[in-house]
Amino acid sequence: MMKRLLHLAVGILLLMSIFLAGCSSQSSTSNANNGKITLTFFYRWPNEPYKSYFKSVIADFEKQHPNIQINEITALNDDYKQKANVLLGSSTPPDIYFSWAGEYGQKFIRDGVALDLSKYFQQDSSWSNSLIASQVNFFKKDDKFYGVPLFTDSKLFFYNKDIFDKLHLTEPKTWDEFISDLKAIKKSGTTPLILGNKASWAAAHYVTALNQRLVPKDVLDKDLSYQGAKFTDPGYVEALKKLNELKTYMNDNPNAIAHDEARNLFLGGKAAVTFLETMEITYMKDATFKWGTFKVPTIEGAKGDQDGLIGAPEGFMIHSKTKHPKEAMEFLEFLTSKANGEKLIKDTGLASTVDGAVNTNTATDHEVDAMNLIKGAKNMEIWTDSALDSRIFKPYGDGVQAMLGGSMTPEQVMKSVQDAAKQVNQ
Amino acid sequence: MAPAFIMLALFVYYPLVRNVVNGFYEWNPFTLDKKFVAAANYIHLFKDPVFFTVLKNNLLYAVISVILQVGLGLVIAAVLEDKVFRKFSTFFRTTFFIPVLISMTVIGILFSFVYNPEVGMLNSFLKAIGLGSWARGWLGDPKTAIFAVIAVSQWQSIGYTVMLYVLAIQNIPGDLYEAATIDGAGKIRSFFNITVPQVKEMTFVLLVYTVTGSFLVFSEVYVLTSGGPSNSSQVFSTYMYQKAFIDNEPGYASAIANVILGITLIFYFVQNKFLKTGEE
Repeated sequence: MMKRLLHLAVGILLLMSIFLAGCSSQSSTSNANNGKITLTFFYRWPNEPYKSYFKSVIADFEKQHPNIQINEITALNDDYKQKANVLLGSSTPPDIYFSWAGEYGQKFIRDGVALDLSKYFQQDSSWSNSLIASQVNFFKKDDKFYGVPLFTDSKLFFYNKDIFDKLHLTEPKTWDEFISDLKAIKKSGTTPLILGNKASWAAAHYVTALNQRLVPKDVLDKDLSYQGAKFTDPGYVEALKKLNELKTYMNDNPNAIAHDEARNLFLGGKAAVTFLETMEITYMKDATFKWGTFKVPTIEGAKGDQDGLIGAPEGFMIHSKTKHPKEAMEFLEFLTSKANGEKLIKDTGLASTVDGAVNTNTATDHEVDAMNLIKGAKNMEIWTDSALDSRIFKPYGDGVQAMLGGSMTPEQVMKSVQDAAKQVNQ
Repeated sequence: MAPAFIMLALFVYYPLVRNVVNGFYEWNPFTLDKKFVAAANYIHLFKDPVFFTVLKNNLLYAVISVILQVGLGLVIAAVLEDKVFRKFSTFFRTTFFIPVLISMTVIGILFSFVYNPEVGMLNSFLKAIGLGSWARGWLGDPKTAIFAVIAVSQWQSIGYTVMLYVLAIQNIPGDLYEAATIDGAGKIRSFFNITVPQVKEMTFVLLVYTVTGSFLVFSEVYVLTSGGPSNSSQVFSTYMYQKAFIDNEPGYASAIANVILGITLIFYFVQNKFLKTGEE
């Protein structure tokens, strides 16, 4: 019996070693095998329509560069963040990887896993000048370029024109107009404003916009910079009070539904206004009503920027440990060529950061309008959830969630944010 | 036996020891430079208000699971095995057992629909029977979120305990009940004086099983609320996951993992002790 067990154990071990050897030899030969350079490309779109877009661009690239082979690794949103934590620190990190703008990307730069791309930006100025400069700046640190933005995104209020027309309402420009519109809609029996805040970033986007309106720009910049956060300006509490004012007009349980569910309810005509990203314009083709958009209203007498937009681009970085920086850069330039930028908005609805790629031939009027708004914006505030260190955002997002649930006051929320900021600064 | 031992050491004990060691470090997952911080992670843990929410939630999970799965489970099993019900018992046993077979992820998605405040079944039902004032966003309200999740767990797991109790009850010699009936004992009397003591062994096993399970619970919470809103339904494993993979604090997460290990080890020793003093 003992002997048989031993044989079995040895057998398993033998099988495993063959299997492991097989794996390792396979991965090491793929480089040398046919003299091809292999680049690993790690991005966050395993879902349609984005998946087919990337597949076809990669196929085009490989056709034009027969010596390069692109290996893909993908994961969706939250999973991407978790996988990135593991992969980027490993001994064989991906050559090219996706990053959000703001603290999320800055962290990569600080930790030295992002390659300085300034050289390539200067060398190929016809390419680098074709990108919208304001969006490239999101991936800069100390005047060096660390990333290439793929597309950009902002957030606007989307409203149901049919409901507005029926009640003889107009697009609000100021906060007071906004509130009086919401009041009139509530009276008519429709839910005025719908929010799905099951994941706390949704309400955090409201907070981003309200902070921009109520907190002076220089204070905001300082609080959003790494280790400069204090959050003591009274504007932050004011912003949360404004959000509480909106709560009166929202669906009853914003924390109990997800953002997509809220969007679907809006598309089904169940609410008059909702706050959506411009990349979500694609979904609006399912709307059975006429619709329009308006910017976050201005707040009279407030100390912040009354014209600014909120939003940020998303893009790619190259790992500092890559063996083939030149080829990796070639791929990123290919990805952000005019032709592929036009294809991006056409196929997926993502607004390419290549200047002029979003035009009347490739996009809907609404998408072109949104792009013009972004291009004209002097100041674009990054979403609070990606602008802040996660240790500060966690209490912020959780606090806002609790406030919407009625268990915290604006002052208490800001107190917990200040405490977290103090701890991070230590 | 040596190869088996090597594999066990490599895949079980080495990670375990590594995790205990990691609990004393703080590090950055991207650059992998580690800093020895001694017990700082643990000190931080016992000052962390979320840690106490987590502890409270896991204890609630354990208490409710014991009452419903072990307590109510035994009652249901006894009823199903009663002569009067035996005709239908196959049907009911299947009904109770089906949820056990469905993956927790599927159940989670199913119940997100049930709990949905706008279109959900639960609120519609409450409104239909005139209890509209009770309707709420079950998973979005910090007061109800953890209970809503615990309820789903009970719904899923009770079939399992009922099944095991049914087996245990079937092993009880029938003449015990016959003798009791002759002596004039009613059904409730025979339940407490015959069924309960006769399934004692099974009760011990199930107690340990449900309590340990309550401290290791993950999928239900993760799928339904991810610990939210504002950490109100966070449990040990989801909090550890949050710290390790979302907040980039792997050292802190290791410390949490070690606390879970400690708690489950305690239950393991309790189990060992109780089962040895048992009849077998």
